Amino acid sequence: MLHRRIYQFLMIYFIGFAGLMLVKYSLNLSDYVIPGFSEIGMACRRYFWLYLLAVLNTLAVAILGHLLSICMATLVGIIGRLTIWIGSFIRVAAYNIQAYPIVAVAPIIFILLGDGLSSRLLIAAMICYFPLLLSIIGILSEPVAEIEHFFESTRRMNWQLQVKIRAFENMHKLMTVIVGSATLAMVGTIVAEFIAANAGIGYSIRIALYQSDLAKILVALFLIGICTSIYLVFLEWLGMEIKKRIGSV
Amino acid sequence: MQLELKDINYTYPGSARNVFRQLSCQVTAPGFHALFGPSGVGKTTLAKMISGSITAFSGAVRTDQMTHVLYTYNLERLPGWHSVQDHLTQITPPPKHSRMEELVDSFGLEPCLNSRFAQLSLGQQNRTNLTRYLLQDFDLLIMDESLANVDEITKEKIILKIKALYPDRCFLYISHNVVEVAKFCKQILVLRSYHKNPQAVSLQGQDFNGRQPIAEKDLEQCMLEIVNAA
Repeated sequence: MLHRRIYQFLMIYFIGFAGLMLVKYSLNLSDYVIPGFSEIGMACRRYFWLYLLAVLNTLAVAILGHLLSICMATLVGIIGRLTIWIGSFIRVAAYNIQAYPIVAVAPIIFILLGDGLSSRLLIAAMICYFPLLLSIIGILSEPVAEIEHFFESTRRMNWQLQVKIRAFENMHKLMTVIVGSATLAMVGTIVAEFIAANAGIGYSIRIALYQSDLAKILVALFLIGICTSIYLVFLEWLGMEIKKRIGSV
Repeated sequence: MQLELKDINYTYPGSARNVFRQLSCQVTAPGFHALFGPSGVGKTTLAKMISGSITAFSGAVRTDQMTHVLYTYNLERLPGWHSVQDHLTQITPPPKHSRMEELVDSFGLEPCLNSRFAQLSLGQQNRTNLTRYLLQDFDLLIMDESLANVDEITKEKIILKIKALYPDRCFLYISHNVVEVAKFCKQILVLRSYHKNPQAVSLQGQDFNGRQPIAEKDLEQCMLEIVNAA
């Protein structure tokens, strides 16, 4: 699973890299615009460990933000599955708010909270929260009639059992949504670091951007891809383990 | 103990077609009764009205001395996180554990106990599902195709066991099988299309209990009556 995902990433990365080199040599662009192999190699040797730490820093914030949004989405999803007014209100509110590009709110968060960890965490969580919430609400508000009927008719149904049945029956969908939103969490954190931060790979890319140093950016992109792939594979493995443990496979 | 349906009128939501028009019928006394009729005539809808799942209809459903009405159907599933045994143990009240063992034995479920529901055959799934309902408190149990995909010999064994173990309860067995309905059921409610009057016809079945043999001629006569009524 891990080697397949990394292999896929490397293919995409090197296709993009080859395209870049093709543009450079076909248009005879200078090393200042698109650096040559030696410059990229030098940047790789000089910044690899520094950028790796920065990517791990970003990944740690993304994982925290992701966890935060999973917890929030589960909690709100449990309330949003209700058929009474509060459930309807939450569903309508979630559908409307998710239509707004949350990243546009990021500057306000930085004005209010500054450029520390809390801003990065909040933006990462907000960006992956709404897609997660919509999916969780959808899953938890959809009755599994052929299982729930018995518990309803014998008056054994309670909210915990209802959530358990619906989550279990849709475990595959839930895991897909969680894995999908992990990428969004990473995107959210990097975007937050682009806007204003004092750490993380987004911050490093911003500096490289000011220096017009594409070699550094290519090294950063490579490390982001590798680390994100590892995190996604870990989540997929976790999902499979959970399914195995609870006996759905 | 009596189940009485009086002047039931019902139309499916969003549809102009009547399902029931002035439908009236009754089932008296405990026993193993049947609800028979062609597909789409409204047997499941009527069962849901009796069990209280459908309430938006006019007319009256009276269930005298029947406090607990349960409805089970053949597509039900058990939660996937338990084995069959764990589930049955969990949903069976402690005083009924010996009954559970008896039913498991009679219904041939012993080989399934350590499996999960999804691993069972369709017939085993239906038997398991029926077993858990039989372990609940009920006065009337509506069995909607509950023995589908079960072979004839096992089906006969199960029905006779139910009749022997629950002589004081009322069962309403929904099936498309004329032979088993005619053979095992006491009273047969034949449900007909809404433009026929009356929409429900009550017939007497052979009520076979495994002790006295039934005459083949009587069984054939009963089957003919059911087919003609439908």
